[in-house]
Amino acid sequence: MASDGRDGHRGSGWLRRLIGRRDISGPVFLALGIGALFVPLLPGEFWTDVGTEILILGLFAMSFNMIYGFMGQISFGHAAFFGLGAYGTAIMFREFTGGTVEITTAQFFLALLAGPPVAAAGALAVGYFCVRLTGIYFAILTLAFGELAFYVVFSWYGFTGGDDGIQRLLPPPFFRESIVYYYFTLTIVTAAACLMGRIVRSPFGYVLRSMRENKLRTQFLGINVRRYMLVNFTIAGAFAGVAGALWGPFTRSVSPLLLGWQESGIAIFMTLIGGAGYFAGPAVGSIVYTFLQAYVTGFTVYWPLTIGVIILLIVMFAPGGLLGAIDDRLLARLRGGGGGANGETGSSTRGGGES
Amino acid sequence: MSGKRPHISDSKWDSVLKSMDRRNFILSTVAAGALTMTPRFIRADAHTPYKLGLLLPVTGTGANYADGGIKAVMNAAADINANGGLLGKHPIEVSYRDTHTKPDVAAREVRDVISREGVQTVVGTYSSACAMAIQEIIHERKILHLAATSNSSKIVNENYTPYTYQFCPNSKMQSGSVVVAVVEMIKKNGWKTYVTIGQDYEWGRDTQKGFVNALAAKSPDTELKNDLWFKLGETEFSSYITAIMAAKPDFAYGAIAGKDNRTFILQAQAMGLFKRVAYPGGLISVTEMQQQKKSLPRGMIGLARCPFFAHLDQPLMQKYIKMHRAKHGEDAYPTDWACMHYDAIYGLEQAVNRVGSIETEAVKGALKGATLETCRGQATFRECNNQLNIPAGYVGKVVDSPDYPFPIYDLETMIIVKAEDVWTPTCDDVRKLQKVRA
Amino acid sequence: MLLDPGILFATLLGGLSRAMILFLLASGLSLTFGVMNILNFAHATLWLLGGYITFSIFTFIADGMGLGDTALVLVAAIILGTAIMAVVGYGIERVLIRRMYDRELPEQLLLTFALILIIGDLIRMVWGVEDRSVYLAIEPLEILDTFVNPYYFVIIATGCAVAAGLWWFLQKTRYGKIVRAAVHSREMVGALGIRIPLIYSGVFALGIAIAAFSAGVFLPLMPMALGVDIDLIVQCFAVVVIGGFGSILGTFVASVLVGVVYAISILVWPDGALAVIFLIVIAVLILRPWGLFGTELRF
Repeated sequence: MASDGRDGHRGSGWLRRLIGRRDISGPVFLALGIGALFVPLLPGEFWTDVGTEILILGLFAMSFNMIYGFMGQISFGHAAFFGLGAYGTAIMFREFTGGTVEITTAQFFLALLAGPPVAAAGALAVGYFCVRLTGIYFAILTLAFGELAFYVVFSWYGFTGGDDGIQRLLPPPFFRESIVYYYFTLTIVTAAACLMGRIVRSPFGYVLRSMRENKLRTQFLGINVRRYMLVNFTIAGAFAGVAGALWGPFTRSVSPLLLGWQESGIAIFMTLIGGAGYFAGPAVGSIVYTFLQAYVTGFTVYWPLTIGVIILLIVMFAPGGLLGAIDDRLLARLRGGGGGANGETGSSTRGGGES
Repeated sequence: MSGKRPHISDSKWDSVLKSMDRRNFILSTVAAGALTMTPRFIRADAHTPYKLGLLLPVTGTGANYADGGIKAVMNAAADINANGGLLGKHPIEVSYRDTHTKPDVAAREVRDVISREGVQTVVGTYSSACAMAIQEIIHERKILHLAATSNSSKIVNENYTPYTYQFCPNSKMQSGSVVVAVVEMIKKNGWKTYVTIGQDYEWGRDTQKGFVNALAAKSPDTELKNDLWFKLGETEFSSYITAIMAAKPDFAYGAIAGKDNRTFILQAQAMGLFKRVAYPGGLISVTEMQQQKKSLPRGMIGLARCPFFAHLDQPLMQKYIKMHRAKHGEDAYPTDWACMHYDAIYGLEQAVNRVGSIETEAVKGALKGATLETCRGQATFRECNNQLNIPAGYVGKVVDSPDYPFPIYDLETMIIVKAEDVWTPTCDDVRKLQKVRA
Repeated sequence: MLLDPGILFATLLGGLSRAMILFLLASGLSLTFGVMNILNFAHATLWLLGGYITFSIFTFIADGMGLGDTALVLVAAIILGTAIMAVVGYGIERVLIRRMYDRELPEQLLLTFALILIIGDLIRMVWGVEDRSVYLAIEPLEILDTFVNPYYFVIIATGCAVAAGLWWFLQKTRYGKIVRAAVHSREMVGALGIRIPLIYSGVFALGIAIAAFSAGVFLPLMPMALGVDIDLIVQCFAVVVIGGFGSILGTFVASVLVGVVYAISILVWPDGALAVIFLIVIAVLILRPWGLFGTELRF
């Protein structure tokens, strides 16, 4: 049996839940959005910085989920596009300032705008090869390309600074304040998420979903599956590039490790924790993951062990993630404890829309 | 999530420290529940603690070096706190973060300790890339940065910030000191050609370049035939070793540190490289001497950064040796990295005492151009880049010693190179390199 | 420089040695995927665990029991280490992997990915951050005007022996034939009344045992350290993809190919050695995704 032989009946059913399920992503996003406005009220700069981190990485994770949750393929090299976006911006920074002068606001925005196109170009190039395959082969090929991208950036000492990374990415004075950068990031990330939501709810998005459920059938409908996969892959890469562009000035430096598979792992973990079957899943996952990491690393060095165990437990017992578990409870409540409690959908209500 | 973290009582800390000689240090502290420390005496009028951030990796190629540094900082802080802390009233609280030898993790962790913990000084890191990443942030937030292992010359030159103070001889100084020894050997043996091999990353490239340039200046007739580079964490060196032997050079120079150093020496030895090609001046610190005590080729000429046996006459060195062995075991002589980190903490204490305050700008002013007592003797910070003028390098021959359970350098023939002989010649030259920050 | 026979010989030797470690690791991976359709990301991490365990046993016998650092002690340590890891492998399969057979592919990958983190940190907890190796006083051998490390011959011989043993096992023994049948169709094997779960456990444990064995054999050559597993697993994937999942012959050929190409690249284009391997993987995945010796059926 081919490794991509999903006919929709195998598996834990979390993907099936996307069809005709009451959409909890909407309310979740609303809650998150309102909450996000008030983060800087917490004492100290620290939480504001954490908030910015959650926003940027959340966008990164959501872009990953375009390929994973909506298209059904797992990419282990997605961080390459995050990193390309970061480096695109960083190199522009370096060209403008030479590391010695301050960057002007206009130049700052130009540098930010440089990131996503670089990432999109990379995604187009990589995707061209990867979309010919699915399943495990797709996963390994994306891993290979991701590592190749990392390797190129790491070795090209003259242009990218090699393993040194690029330093001195100081935003213009106005944006240096944690609060200002936070709201700036919030604006951009919200806009990006809305755009992503429109794409995912468009006819294009529905085609993606049908490709995920049954590629063969979709092809029978006359749809060029490969092209749709490539377009989606490129768009996802572009969004990852947006996140990457914001990241460099935030941490004041970039390093080649932003392109590596461990960075890709972060997006995967966040998506899994929140729930890949929901548009808001990666966002929720980002909050949980970042908080968890900040909290745990404060008193132990064994963070990999902690997150590893959490992922293990989630995969084994709650593959739908946090939102999946919540949704199950809600559904059980609505149906009075019948049918849907174990995650298998009974009837479907198309009117409720998908996440 | 409250900002308060559980503190360990001092009796518990005692048992933790005593148990460290048998168990992994980090494991002990985790078992004790926290990595911050409490004052020895809790007075009724509790004074503000002095918060210190420690950024070193427990993972990655440099973890075995960083281990000594972590132990040293903890021990020194405990020692100072035994008298009430800095100025007798500001107990030092250490917040440790694992950088994973990754620059972006280091950047995030340093931001974390600054904004969440409120540290005034950061000690670290291991890798030069991490150090440069955190320099951005400590400069912006006006936090003191004491470097005691990461030693790319870029840290004090190109990437200079007035908040960074370097307690370790930088890579230019290190390469320069090897050249001093190698030039002598060239004259004695009539060597003509050489090959270099190095780790393909910032420190490796910087170190190799420093060596090649310095050697070209002092011995222009010696020809570099080939330069080989391998990726960090390489496990299979036979091709490189073969390539070195193929070039048939008179000697080879290696810019290799950390775990790779051990792998390379192990495999090179088994392939007989050292019988065919001289290999002077590779990094052989006390860590290598201890960890590879069974296999390290005796007679090999190596370079160390701060070996304890070179300064047994210094009272501070004796103090560090005693402290380290008391807490970690009879055989646990402090490594180069441990000694330099001890110097950083006690150097900080001296500056604080001199100016009578723990306020960052005052301490920074006190450190500027200051002369400190270190385990390597009295040393002064260079005005233009805050580089401490401790010996640039210790070049010696590996021999067995009756006094220690591991080999050391032959004290008769060991060369100690002075900082001023090999660092960037004048402050003007330094300033040309420094990219002034906005 | 490449044409110098001594250099070529030494390079090939190093390349074959690298090929052996890749083969020993990748064969378990390939077999596991072939039979059970599970790609074990944590395979190299279990290899690393085996290496550390073997090291500890070696140190205990050599230093603790005072028998010294000899080859015989190493052999004993390897045997014990392999046995222990076979049990560990069996345990992991029964407790964790077994639950994932009817799950989606991404979840299987994520589970084993999580295992990398867990086992890696457990190693760090127990053994600390120092790297471990074993020192056998080996004298270099002079061949063709160059020095070589004679231990490479031991490694190559061991790798070939294991390959031969695996081949014999799969082709000539009853159990091996069942395993091969399961690669083609596990439903039929089940229909014949053979207990599939036992076969799965056995194959998984076998893969882990081979990996642990190879870790022990490599101790005198290559220090065990945190992070080595991650480098290796990526190269292992490359090998399995190039050779074809489920095919031992394919794995062997691909290992030799990757090992030798890498070694030669170091001499010719050191910066690009790893990139060359990736390019081969990418080419294979695009032109012939089921690998050199894999079956199109399985793809």
